[in-house]
Amino acid sequence: MDKNIFLVGLNHRCAGVDVREKFALTSVADFEKSLLAACPLREVMALSTCNRVEILVVADGTRCQDEDISEAVLRHWAETCNGPLEVLRSHTYKNQGLDAVTHLFCVAASLDSMIMGEPQILGQLKNSYRKAVETGTARVIINRLLHKSFSVAKRVRTETAIASSAVSISYAAVELAKKIFGELGGKTAMLVGAGEMAELAATHLLASGIDKLYICNRTYARAQELAKTMHGEAVFFEDMVARLQGVDIVISSTGSPTAIIRAKDIREVLKKRRNRAMFFIDIAVPRDIDPDVNSLDNVYLYDIDDLKEVVEENMSARQGEAVKARAIVDLETEAFATWMKSLALQPTITDLLSRAEDVAQRELAKTLKRLGPVDDETRQALEVLVNSVSRKLLHEPINFLKRRTREEGTSERFIDVTRRIFNLDSDLVNPDAHLDRRMASEDEPLECECCREPESDQGDTVTPQNPQ
Amino acid sequence: MGLPDFLPFLVIGLYFLGTAFYVLGSALRKERIKILALVLGGIGFALHFIDLTQQLVLADAPGALTSGRFLFCLLGFGILLIFLLLWWRLKLRFLAVVALPLALVFYATADATSGIKASLPPMLSGLFFFLHIGTLFVSMALLAMGAGAGLAFLHLEKRIKHKAGLRKFQQDMPSLDTFDKVNHWVIVGGFPLYTIGLISGFVWAWLSAKRVFSSDPKEILALVMLGLYAYLFHQRLAYGWKGRKPAVMVIGVFLLTVISMLGINFLVPTTFHGFKP
Repeated sequence: MDKNIFLVGLNHRCAGVDVREKFALTSVADFEKSLLAACPLREVMALSTCNRVEILVVADGTRCQDEDISEAVLRHWAETCNGPLEVLRSHTYKNQGLDAVTHLFCVAASLDSMIMGEPQILGQLKNSYRKAVETGTARVIINRLLHKSFSVAKRVRTETAIASSAVSISYAAVELAKKIFGELGGKTAMLVGAGEMAELAATHLLASGIDKLYICNRTYARAQELAKTMHGEAVFFEDMVARLQGVDIVISSTGSPTAIIRAKDIREVLKKRRNRAMFFIDIAVPRDIDPDVNSLDNVYLYDIDDLKEVVEENMSARQGEAVKARAIVDLETEAFATWMKSLALQPTITDLLSRAEDVAQRELAKTLKRLGPVDDETRQALEVLVNSVSRKLLHEPINFLKRRTREEGTSERFIDVTRRIFNLDSDLVNPDAHLDRRMASEDEPLECECCREPESDQGDTVTPQNPQ
Repeated sequence: MGLPDFLPFLVIGLYFLGTAFYVLGSALRKERIKILALVLGGIGFALHFIDLTQQLVLADAPGALTSGRFLFCLLGFGILLIFLLLWWRLKLRFLAVVALPLALVFYATADATSGIKASLPPMLSGLFFFLHIGTLFVSMALLAMGAGAGLAFLHLEKRIKHKAGLRKFQQDMPSLDTFDKVNHWVIVGGFPLYTIGLISGFVWAWLSAKRVFSSDPKEILALVMLGLYAYLFHQRLAYGWKGRKPAVMVIGVFLLTVISMLGINFLVPTTFHGFKP
């Protein structure tokens, strides 16, 4: 049955931005409906972001005996986007059966993302799934597959360190600040000069809870302008060193050819602030801060190269974690394959009867324990009683499933419901498993995996960035 | 009713397993192993408490509480108590890696001790027990935790300062600021207690032996430690010492404490504190 699952798509690895732009799906819901009408499919779900398009379909086994489903989907996709089929074909990948399942799990777990471990893709997948449910194109198989992919993503995030360390310079700086100061609430930062990366780091610091941000620039008007947008306080460039006494974190990014913060200045500042720790982030080239500052006790200085090194180390650590994550994905794919097999009628009837028998035997054992010693005849009579009650109770549901299978050719929807009602797969379902679906609003914007900083789930308010 | 004879072995076994599992859990970064270690240590702590209570109940006079076994048991217990306090207030659970082995060492060596040789009238013994031993033990327990936090501070600070990168182990550690806070409380809380402990000890010596200072190695080392502690207290509060220097000094003072408790008490003949059986 898993042979009926197909996934076709393109991503940042196999298609350039021009191709991705051309074949991005602007109206996913309309595409899903039209694809369902055009091809012999039972279920459809599409995901379209600026880094990837994934089209997951479940074919109708009885109607697509001789048809190449992947090709049919590609054709419809090319027609929808008014693009040449040949171009699309040469930039897409096609997966069928368990390969499709594995690919989807990898996408959900962010193993296939441009920045491995970034969390946005899971949110995008959830949004796409919710819309497919609302459109009515996601049914039993996609329901199960997507729920499984969400739990795989959760397992990967909790059981591996794939998303644990910063992979952008600005976040690496914030993480280091947290390692020095702990919580950043109550701390003060100063932004010296202006520059995109420095502003980004300052924004992340604000999002991480620092209390106050001073902005210092040679041009006071520019400092005021920045202070207005970042809710900070402008400081005259001449007052910078004097103000450092009350500042814990300094981000410097000026165009000065020589150092503007010297070790001897900081030695004096430290005395005044009674040796409270200071963290300097020097993003300028040439450097703004005298490297000797780092040799002072309780002062930590990181320049752009140091931060880049941290990021590279974290990236390679993520690659190592990806091996563990792949193992989880493989295990979960096997579990999904087992579930797919159980969707046939006979295994479900067997599972139902054995579940009922188990319950009957357990209850019988409890009753016999309460009754005390009984003769063999009574014991046998009780055994017959509990077994026949359990079988008779299941007689009608089993007949119903058989009837549906005979009449419709398949009864997987009912089989799935039955399996869930009796929990034949021993699934653990969180009480809030469907909370996100209930709470999500209609107009919630669909953010793109490449449109935010990789660790933006660590802060609440992160400014969207330009695609990298 | 007496407690079973194997109770001390059980406590030692539990502390040993707790220590081993905590180290293993930290090395493998397995939360479950760490929790198992804390549960084992917790059971050991409860049995340790029962053992101490029994020793208190069975003591026929306050003077009996100066037995070496009781004192060492109490010191091990105090270290764990201070650890629990720091875990609760500052979320420094990782200090278990210091607290559990120290509790193990002091509990396990308790049986190898004899006791304090000085005696007092029964009515004064209880008072001086708390003024001298109670305060000193709490300050030593604080020093132990301060030394653990100091070592962690030095390790993490070196990684950050030398840009050596933070592995998962260091990422899981609390911040430098938190370690420094421990150092602050160890000095601010520990120094006055240590001072009270020493002064009351000299008073005790005067009451029981009619002399304040016997020039024995234990007393000389205690005065050296008091001097270092006082210097640290002064520098931290008056000059705002933070970070590396106080961390190194607290480790130094704690090492002197260990030398004093385990080295001098067992190996060197002293006036009052020879615990060598």
